[in-house]
Amino acid sequence: MATLELVNVIKKFGDFTVVNNFNLRVEDGEFVTLLGPSGCGKTTLLNAIAGLEDVTSGEIKINGKTVNDLGPFERDVAMVFQNYALYPHMTVEENIGFSLQLRKRSKNEIQEKVRKVAEMLELDKLLHRLPRELSGGQQQRVSIGRAVIREPSIFLFDEPFSNLDAALRVKTRGEIKELHQRLGVTSVFVTHDQEEALSLSDHIAVLRAGQLEQYGTPEDIYSKPATKYVARFIGNPQIDIFVGEFETGGEKLSYRIGELSIPVSSTIKPPRQAVDMGVRPEFVLLGEKGFPASVRLVQPVGPFTYVTVEWQGGTVTARVSGVSHLQPKEKVHVKFAEEGLLFFNRENKKRIDIEER
Amino acid sequence: MRAFKKTATRLIIRMTLAAFTVLALGPVIWAVVTSLLPLTALTSRPPDLNPLNMTLENYRLVFDSSRGLFSGLINSFIIAFFTSAVGLVIGSTAAYALARLNLPGSNKILMMILATQMFPGIVIAIPLFLVMSRIGLIDTHFALIVVYLSFILPIVIWILKGFFESVPLELERAAAVDGATPFQTFRYIVLPISLPPLFATGVFAFIEAWNEFFFAIILTRIHVKTASIAIAEFSGQYQTLYGQMLASAVLASIPVVALAIIFRKFILEGFVEGAVKA
Amino acid sequence: MQTTNEYNRKRFKLGLWFTAPALIVLLTVLAYPIVASFVLSFQRIRFAGQGLTHQFNGFNNYIELLKNQTFREALLRSIYFTLTEVITVLLLALIVALLLNHPLGRHAFFRVVLLVPWALAPVANAVLWKWIYNANYGILNYILISLGLVKENVIWLGKPWLALNMILLADVWKAVPFIALLLLAGLQNVPNYLYRAARLDGANTWQQFVYVTLPGIKTTLVISTVLQSIWALKVFDLIYVLTKGSPADSTVLLNYLSWRETFSNLDIGYGAAIANVLFVMMFMLSLVYIRALRPRQTATLKGTQAKEG
Repeated sequence: MATLELVNVIKKFGDFTVVNNFNLRVEDGEFVTLLGPSGCGKTTLLNAIAGLEDVTSGEIKINGKTVNDLGPFERDVAMVFQNYALYPHMTVEENIGFSLQLRKRSKNEIQEKVRKVAEMLELDKLLHRLPRELSGGQQQRVSIGRAVIREPSIFLFDEPFSNLDAALRVKTRGEIKELHQRLGVTSVFVTHDQEEALSLSDHIAVLRAGQLEQYGTPEDIYSKPATKYVARFIGNPQIDIFVGEFETGGEKLSYRIGELSIPVSSTIKPPRQAVDMGVRPEFVLLGEKGFPASVRLVQPVGPFTYVTVEWQGGTVTARVSGVSHLQPKEKVHVKFAEEGLLFFNRENKKRIDIEER
Repeated sequence: MRAFKKTATRLIIRMTLAAFTVLALGPVIWAVVTSLLPLTALTSRPPDLNPLNMTLENYRLVFDSSRGLFSGLINSFIIAFFTSAVGLVIGSTAAYALARLNLPGSNKILMMILATQMFPGIVIAIPLFLVMSRIGLIDTHFALIVVYLSFILPIVIWILKGFFESVPLELERAAAVDGATPFQTFRYIVLPISLPPLFATGVFAFIEAWNEFFFAIILTRIHVKTASIAIAEFSGQYQTLYGQMLASAVLASIPVVALAIIFRKFILEGFVEGAVKA
Repeated sequence: MQTTNEYNRKRFKLGLWFTAPALIVLLTVLAYPIVASFVLSFQRIRFAGQGLTHQFNGFNNYIELLKNQTFREALLRSIYFTLTEVITVLLLALIVALLLNHPLGRHAFFRVVLLVPWALAPVANAVLWKWIYNANYGILNYILISLGLVKENVIWLGKPWLALNMILLADVWKAVPFIALLLLAGLQNVPNYLYRAARLDGANTWQQFVYVTLPGIKTTLVISTVLQSIWALKVFDLIYVLTKGSPADSTVLLNYLSWRETFSNLDIGYGAAIANVLFVMMFMLSLVYIRALRPRQTATLKGTQAKEG
């Protein structure tokens, strides 16, 4: 159990700055995800937190104490690696118990503790196997077991699911969430998969090129993205963004794209700056009323169907419940739910909170 | 026509392979056969190769203490064993340091190491001989072991460094997180998974040390004569005792050829590594 | 300012301890003598009572070298020996490697066959060939006479030019396996799809060899050439066992000469000078080695320039 703080952390490799002035605070027992594409610095940050790499400047504090000088073990962190990093010449039992062996615990104590952890992770029948005799998912669990037995202050996860197939990924995700609920250890999770981040975390830190784009709850990140980048990065399929401008004058407030005016709630005050408009598929409504459009692409994904249509403002994707019988080139009408409209300052790309009148 | 060409090619290849095998193994087999025949059989025209005449007489005679072969084998064994053992210990540690332990200037050290392969032994033999005479190290096992170490180490380090670099860094990081000191990481994690290349390098070092001749004759006199020296002397002194001469050569070669064949997989893989790395 | 955490500091410290023993050995046994040898070659060393006197001799040793006929002949012989050996070994090794790369030759047995000559001690090899070359009872004479190629026993090691080449043959036999294995590894690194592409482009076997195989093993060929040259210059055991330089010094090569001058004739400074000449020759060869290994970028750069130009 511990709090984690990163204060003004900078990490450079030679002249190249990988992490730039990063600040973060993780409360006791929280599950925080560092989310971003490859190369954004998230793994570097994780390694820095773990003590596997030094930082160029800045502080890393665990429970208020600066730990920059300490190695990984002294920081009391445990890590689950991307490729599991199981010791190939040791059995599952030895792999999990290795850290205890190093501390010269008695054989009985080690056996006992390993057994408990193995049971919890359903590995008790596999204790005598070697890593190469295990499936990917089993290796994953051994890797987790090795971290759990440490009873550390902080768990670190480095994209642990990237080598699993899709179904296994979702299943293991659930197991990790349950584990966290059960053990309640402060956890930092690194991934590029936004679905994982959204489903597992208490808070998400979205990273881009070594900088923090946004730090918030999954809900905030999704429905109140701080920047265009976050809005685009989160959400599958991607949000559609249009260039236009607010129209003042007249009774109803609207946002004009080309020749079309999209009605916007009249309770809000139009912003002064130029803004772009973004809308997620679930807020794009197809039906009889609205702007004329023609169907371009129909992609069923089980519980939903994503229909991409071409309208005067460009293309936009709508989410339709269940199965849609629309065909390409068919004519439909599209409108946008007012509550789902997001506006982004065209210049600094930040999302504008539209004020109420 | 095409089928004919194909069978013809295959025939030529098979014949060439056969010829190659004969040329490669022939001399060796002839040596073994010679060593098993009595002198009379060898000196008759044509050589009397009747298997019934084969005998181990030559081998028995060769072990006569005045021939020095027996002590030669022992000396060679001691020297080769310690050369490869010590070479492995200090070579593997140096290789690991260069591969993983963030040593500054490791590139320069590597170049230096490569460079040691490329000069004639005689250059260092002369000064070494002078120094060792002065400190009284001539005719000691230690002298040869130390000198052999100096040419074995670069190869050991080169091969093992390549291997250690291929050990996933994640493994060592996991060990660090588990609480292992760098030394413990080396001892409990890296070494155990490196046994094959360690063996291969050790065998290679043993073979090189065993087969060495030049420094052996310069740095030894009476007490530490190696097998190579014994054979060379034999071939000079008793050169008309053909069977025995070959028997001594065969005896001194059995250990290294056997090692090479037993560990062939590792040695051959080492060649592949070497070609790729180069 | 970069801080180094404890773990990395420990690693660095361990690194120092780990490299120290090896470096110590290498520095004392190699570095020091190399320098000393250089110094010795400028001295005239005589035995006086118990020890040695060192007298500064300037370049005299080297001048004597150049004037000395034995040295000059040994030098020429060494060059001949090296050139011939390298060409012969490389050709034969390439054939062997190609054979072993062929589906028919892929069997592990053949590779083991190669290991046997390789593992032999050079001295054992010398003894073996001494027996084969034996004038009266050696198998070589026997086979040649039986086949009618020769009328009477040839004294292989008795005639000057012949002796040298018989030594060459013995060394070639021993040297081919290693180079063949090296080339074989290189051959196996040439990806199959290149051959397939060439065949699709209509190349026949010979053209595939020239345009796919040879370029693919270029680096290995260069390394093999340099390695083999250096080893050819180092030949010693064969001379010692087979001829000791006779007949009439016709089998004296540089390495052997240096040894003889130092340890038989006890002219240490002179011997050291010869050793250093040998050293320079090998050093230049190894420079070629290093050059050949690096500039692959410049090669491709020139290639693209050629295309644009």
